[in-house]
Amino acid sequence: MSLKDILSPFYVWKRAFEKPYTTANPLTDRPGAPRYRGFHDNDMEKCIGCGTCADICQNAAIDMVPVEGIQTSKEDSGLRPKIDYGRCCWCALCVDICTTNSLNMTREYTWVDTDPDKFRILAGAQENFWTGKETGYKLGEGYKLLDHDRITMPMVDPKEGIKSFIELVKGYSKEQAIKEADRCVQCGLCIATCPAHMDIPNYIKAIREDNIPEAVRILYETNPMSATCGRICTHRCEEVCSIGVNGDPIAIRWLKRYIIDQVDRKEIAKILRNEFKPNGKKVAVIGAGPAGLSAAYYLTTVGYSVTIFETNEKAGGMVRYGIPEYRMPYEQLDKDIDAILDMGVELKTGVEIGVTESFDDIYKNYDAVFLSVGLQDSYSLSITGEHLPGVIPGIQLLDDVTKGQIPDLGKKVIVIGGGNTAMDAARTARRLAANVTILYRRREEDMPADQEEIEEAKREGVKFITRAIPVHIDLGENKKIILHWNKAEMLDQGPGKRPKPVLIVGEAYTEAVDTVISAIGQSPIYKLLPEEIGSQIKFKREKVITDKYGQTSLPKIFAGGDIVNDIADAISAIADGHRAAQGIDLYLSKQVKVK
Amino acid sequence: MFTPDRSKYPEIVDGKAVIDLDSGKYLKLWQGPQHPGVTGNMSLELIVCGDEVVDCKTHVGYLHRGFEKLMERRKFIQNFPIVCRICVPEPDTNEYLYAAAVEEVAGIKIPEQAKWLRTLNMEMSRLTSYLMWIGGHAGAFGLGPIGQWAVTHRDYMLDLFEEWTGGRVYHMYMIPGGVRNILPDGFDRRLEDTLQKIEKLMSEIEKVMLNNAVFKMRAVGLGIITKDMIDRYGVVGPIARAAGMKRDVRKNSPYLMYEHLDFDIITGTKSDAYERLLVRFREMFQSIDLIRQIMKYIDNSKNIHTKLPNVLHWKIPAGETYVKAESTRGEYGYFVVTDGSELPRRVYVRGPSYSHAVALLEDLIINVNIADVAGLMTSLHTYPPEIER
Amino acid sequence: MKEIIQRLKQQFTISNVNQQRVDLTFLSVKKEQAVSLISYLRDFEKFSHLVFLTAVDRVEDIQFQLTYMLHNYNTHQDLGIRVLIDREKAEMASIHHLWKQAGTYQRELKEMFGIDFPGSPRVDESFILEGWDNIPPMRRDFDTKKYSEETYFPRPGRESHDPESYMKSKLYPEGDA
Repeated sequence: MSLKDILSPFYVWKRAFEKPYTTANPLTDRPGAPRYRGFHDNDMEKCIGCGTCADICQNAAIDMVPVEGIQTSKEDSGLRPKIDYGRCCWCALCVDICTTNSLNMTREYTWVDTDPDKFRILAGAQENFWTGKETGYKLGEGYKLLDHDRITMPMVDPKEGIKSFIELVKGYSKEQAIKEADRCVQCGLCIATCPAHMDIPNYIKAIREDNIPEAVRILYETNPMSATCGRICTHRCEEVCSIGVNGDPIAIRWLKRYIIDQVDRKEIAKILRNEFKPNGKKVAVIGAGPAGLSAAYYLTTVGYSVTIFETNEKAGGMVRYGIPEYRMPYEQLDKDIDAILDMGVELKTGVEIGVTESFDDIYKNYDAVFLSVGLQDSYSLSITGEHLPGVIPGIQLLDDVTKGQIPDLGKKVIVIGGGNTAMDAARTARRLAANVTILYRRREEDMPADQEEIEEAKREGVKFITRAIPVHIDLGENKKIILHWNKAEMLDQGPGKRPKPVLIVGEAYTEAVDTVISAIGQSPIYKLLPEEIGSQIKFKREKVITDKYGQTSLPKIFAGGDIVNDIADAISAIADGHRAAQGIDLYLSKQVKVK
Repeated sequence: MFTPDRSKYPEIVDGKAVIDLDSGKYLKLWQGPQHPGVTGNMSLELIVCGDEVVDCKTHVGYLHRGFEKLMERRKFIQNFPIVCRICVPEPDTNEYLYAAAVEEVAGIKIPEQAKWLRTLNMEMSRLTSYLMWIGGHAGAFGLGPIGQWAVTHRDYMLDLFEEWTGGRVYHMYMIPGGVRNILPDGFDRRLEDTLQKIEKLMSEIEKVMLNNAVFKMRAVGLGIITKDMIDRYGVVGPIARAAGMKRDVRKNSPYLMYEHLDFDIITGTKSDAYERLLVRFREMFQSIDLIRQIMKYIDNSKNIHTKLPNVLHWKIPAGETYVKAESTRGEYGYFVVTDGSELPRRVYVRGPSYSHAVALLEDLIINVNIADVAGLMTSLHTYPPEIER
Repeated sequence: MKEIIQRLKQQFTISNVNQQRVDLTFLSVKKEQAVSLISYLRDFEKFSHLVFLTAVDRVEDIQFQLTYMLHNYNTHQDLGIRVLIDREKAEMASIHHLWKQAGTYQRELKEMFGIDFPGSPRVDESFILEGWDNIPPMRRDFDTKKYSEETYFPRPGRESHDPESYMKSKLYPEGDA
């Protein structure tokens, strides 16, 4: 102990003359830091209500609730997060996991109220004192919880691909599939968009857990043609995928294919193991396309005896005869069909209704008829010269190639159209060693074909001419065909309407080619229906009118597939078939016209 | 071997003090759970004879939030915001250890820059925690103003944490896989300003507290822990170092980037409350020095986070590990057991106060003057949530 | 570390040796040998520090796994000793004579897991949970959520919707196209 020890503490008095540390009014003078994790703010427009924020919340502080003024749509559940500040721990994991980056936090942190219920907040939907204030915490740089990058699908090199009809997409390995499945946040937004409402999140979960039998079971609950849909589905589910908002959507289609690739026909039968009692009733299905096969499958599982009538040599419909083998290998289609036939469905091929078999007989002998004949006829170009030899419809080419009748297209081919059939025809022509140009009347972004089809066509060397309207066709020298076309400009038709292509005067071109392929759409042929039956079924612009169960105005006749729905793709047809099966079951078990 | 002086009273029979409260010689006195001289929410059931303590039982349970149980019911990522709440003054040790344990069992390597940022975070949190401690310690000896100065300076540190991580107390920064953010612009300058303020404060504390005759008279010789007690009572951290043990996890089992930093283990000899203050006081300067060293390695352009599997369904294969770090109170550790599911099987939190505040304190407090009980407790830097996670 | 394991093997039946890190090893030992093994490690192998003692409820095997973590300050090695004990008759020999703080750990294990350590000081006194009348709460079969729902009152007024089923009810109710 020294004198110093006694005097030194008096230093404390020096502080009395210094400026105090305190902030005069901490409630107003002390804003939160720019990264402060204060009250939540949610961009109502950007938010899609996927509920991932509620899933990650460790304290169950977030409820998903409907909000006035926000409609439920296919890409938006219509729900929004409501945060209970009695539970929130301000960890901001909800911000980190937000699929759209709509959820952020503000810099505001002081709030006093006597009513505890006020502390449940629909962030962003209701006015608060922090509405419009600066954003605080948001996802930091160099760190994220979601994986936005799709596992690259191994593909055949385009240069190799055009040499033959081998399948281009090689499919995921187990490791790749599990990794891709892991990206899914299981929000379930995709289910509403899928025409068949497949239980996508759960079959992806089954992949993640490497439980293939469970995955197969889930697939067959809503779709008996997964080998097909895993390849050629238009996969609109991926367009609404919440991960797709800020990154690559989950490869839902390819994951489905992965599941079915893991099992063979026998295993599928073993997994499904349907135990049903025949109920003694008979249903006829006309047309063995996806809709007919799907209806047959689901009817069989509840005990109906089903016979499918098909004109072609093999079942599959447009999936077989309208889609080239490099996209849809026949043995994979056969796998789906065989699994359905294994259930006990009878298939009669080579039957032409009205020629080899009478519709009236079928109508009389069966308890119900499901009509799924598809679109067999090509729209005409409606220009002079379209009937010249060397001008062929796209579906004709695809049909011929499937049947092994390889046509001679020559060296130079023009395909008219911008849909998937146009792409298929163009790429098939590439494989027959032709130089191919696609001519489309609108812009590339207006093309109805799938984006990846367009891109793959380009990679395979197909040239694109857009805003080009064919005017007429005539015959040139050396059997050449001269296509006259005119450049068009897009005329705005007002908000919400598709712009219209209009000819530009003086911008006329000609192209001398060996073959012109027209692929601008298809229409149905109803000549199989006898007069008195056809007249009792109601149509609207060539399409059959049905109720939600596919029942036509003639109670015994149900219809589905391309002749009913406007989307005209495989998955819609499968969904139609499933619903019609439910409808037929309701109709036959209760003998009531449903709805 | 340490044997408390029980010569006055009471008699020991079968290893237990025979205290007859009805005799009128003793008084039962509760210190805490609400008492300014008790660190955190715990209480001491004291039996006093005159103004001397003759027996003591530590009671905890006022702050039990069942963290270990909660963690068994939450996904791995969902525990990340929970763990920091185990310790208010120094949450970052929990964050780091939980992340490190999960990364180890899941086999995840984190980027080097994330390790530097974590090291910076850990040292800043050490300094922050020590500031709070020195304030409390001074308060326990009646030196109120120092408490105010120190807590103010802790607030300056919290300002830095706030602008860096978005939170003042619970930073929730060291997420499994790395860290959540880079340093904000101009952070280094503001950090240096604060460090200088703290250095100035420290020189003042030295004058007012360390060289204070009254304080010295009370702290010197208080709660002497002999060397042979160290292992017997599981004593770690600055308390062990004040007894001359060269034990510091940062040096002995280097984690994060400590092996790249230049520092020595600070030890003392006398092992009383005053010596422990000196060790911690010097460690505060050491922390300041380490922070300056670390700042040279910070590069905001580098990768700070390793991509995790989807955290919503992250499963970790069966395994177990124990990771540890040096907190202000000594060896802090997480023992994590996984069973291949989405949830941890067991997370055990090992806090140094577990032995310091119960077994050690209960014996050390015998014959201490009631007025010094608070000073003794703070000199052990006890912290109840470590006992009752 | 390998030499120590070798020496241990000569005297004790140890199994499942797992070197988790260079400075961390786990091993299992039979319940009957555990205390003598730990004493041996403390007295002859310089594992002088008891880092912690805790339990893991292996409910599916009807067992508790006790883990004694020891530390050697000379070699800076951690050694975790696993001991499996019967869950139905959970009892273990005490080590409070080896380390003062062991009594606290054992008191907590008695309260939180219901594992008895006969002879351990104050082992029957409540440690954290005063007046607890349910099963020991750290056991796996104690359901915290159920307990809190039965014991406390959730504030009314909260409801949440699952996006998937909500969209179904709005966009395609049962049977609708």
